[in-house]
Amino acid sequence: MTDRVSTVRVGIVGYGTMGAGIVQVAAAADCDVVVVDTREEALERGRALLLESVHQAVARGKLADDAPETILSRVESVTDPRALGDCQIVIETVTELLDVKAAALEEISRCVDSEAIIATNTSSLSVTSLAANVSNPSRFAGLHFFNPAPVMRLVEIIPGIDTAAGTVDRLRVWAAEVGKEPVVVKDQPGFLVNAVLMPYLNQAVQELDRGLASAEDIDIAVRLGLGYPKGPLELLDLIGLDTHLHATTSAYEETADARFAPPPMLRRLVAAGRLGKKTGSGLRTEERHE
Amino acid sequence: MSDLARSRIGIVGAGTMGTGIAITAIRAGFATVLADAVSAQLPVARDYVDRFLGQSVQRGKLTPVDRDTALARLSLADDFERLADCDIVIESISEDLQAKQELLKGLGEYVPEETVYLSNTSTLSVTAISAGAKQPDRVAGMHFCNPAPLMPLVEVVDGMLTSATTHALALELAQALGKTAVEVKDSPGFIVNRFLIPFENACIRELERATATVEDIDRAVRFGLRHPMGPFQLLDTVGLDVHRAVSLSLFEQLRDPVFAPPPLVDQMIAVGHLGRKTGRGFYQYDEPGMFGT
Repeated sequence: MTDRVSTVRVGIVGYGTMGAGIVQVAAAADCDVVVVDTREEALERGRALLLESVHQAVARGKLADDAPETILSRVESVTDPRALGDCQIVIETVTELLDVKAAALEEISRCVDSEAIIATNTSSLSVTSLAANVSNPSRFAGLHFFNPAPVMRLVEIIPGIDTAAGTVDRLRVWAAEVGKEPVVVKDQPGFLVNAVLMPYLNQAVQELDRGLASAEDIDIAVRLGLGYPKGPLELLDLIGLDTHLHATTSAYEETADARFAPPPMLRRLVAAGRLGKKTGSGLRTEERHE
Repeated sequence: MSDLARSRIGIVGAGTMGTGIAITAIRAGFATVLADAVSAQLPVARDYVDRFLGQSVQRGKLTPVDRDTALARLSLADDFERLADCDIVIESISEDLQAKQELLKGLGEYVPEETVYLSNTSTLSVTAISAGAKQPDRVAGMHFCNPAPLMPLVEVVDGMLTSATTHALALELAQALGKTAVEVKDSPGFIVNRFLIPFENACIRELERATATVEDIDRAVRFGLRHPMGPFQLLDTVGLDVHRAVSLSLFEQLRDPVFAPPPLVDQMIAVGHLGRKTGRGFYQYDEPGMFGT
């Protein structure tokens, strides 16, 4: 038995919240990690995010006291993408915009070996359309982590039209090695989790607007009656009403499925700047007038 | 001692839900009559109560003395005359509007005028159930979740004619039974089923479209949304036939296709894959078992 769980060298491109979370997941499972972002300031912000998250995990007893040191020693952060050259898996986590992701994937393709796995951590873009930017798309797939990545156990693996079965298998094995629960899902808007979550959240806003019950009672009934960790309206406040509006509008445009159509009340609240927790008022968070 | 604490509770319908509500009531200190017109149902109900409270004692949740006290509060009846001195009647018969309406009218012969009548309907309109009753202002909905002795939620529903007094009593009773009450409009499926049914149907449709496997959809919902069970584990537990009936009832009332049971449900029912109780649903089971055992 070796000391290390995984000997895979992993590249992460983009050191934002998701990037830092995935860096932690990989490094905590003994992978060597190279993380690349375009500017030194971005790397510094990413390092701060990683540090904070690792210390939180220690405080919660999820990581050993000496884990931060070990984890940080496995992570190299650079601005030069050529450092990805000897990675076996590279995960792209840059901003969720088609052209930004396209540019990042082209760059990654130029830097890595033709057999290295390239994965995109997208939540809303089509894996098949992103594959056009990758040389040898058979080694490319979607790898969707949930926020916060160190806490949420699920990972959706999304093969594009050209993805080889071997690529899916390697990602599945790696995801399990780093302690995640991988599921394989078709390339469709929202993949699986968001495809069933978004209509449910839209329905909650509609039922509230129609006066089925108070916002609080809807959340209580769902938590106590169905055992979900949060009610739909408090979950929306947490996600951010603007974030949900953007995601569900984009799914609606792609599918013309009425279940994704953003409810009028959602648009009204976003227009009024009531975006949820981050603005201090939303569906459950009361606005306090002085 | 308040008036409510002295109340006698009658429960009509000794199926799983009615018996579960009876357990909840006797545990909370209420003298309770559990009535069912089908007398063969009574020993089954009695056995369920005994086993349930026996397990509570084994798990250290109840002392043997408290169990015996609780059991002493319960009487079983196959005729409705025994409901005559009940202050509150909770109806938990099958989800059939006509049967519920007739029961409510028929009970008028046995129970006093002041008796408050609470329907444990999950899908029917409380207003419709109360229609034709002599005192529709004394009727409200009180929907328990299965298994009733364990699930903390009740949905309290006013019909169009429910009085404020009846509403207040339902809320007070829920609290006395140790439950958390939410107040919901008389609208099909109330909150719990209104959200659960479209969610489960959406998961079944994803399976039909081969978005992912049964196992992967269940794992995605458990680990991605942190639901206590995956949709297919839950459907197998509830029973595909029950899911279909609830879905159809909501679909017929709301005419929104998200409530319509997907074709796969009909196909599974046609071949007898109803879930745990038949040994096979979305999953295969070694031993068929009933919910709650």
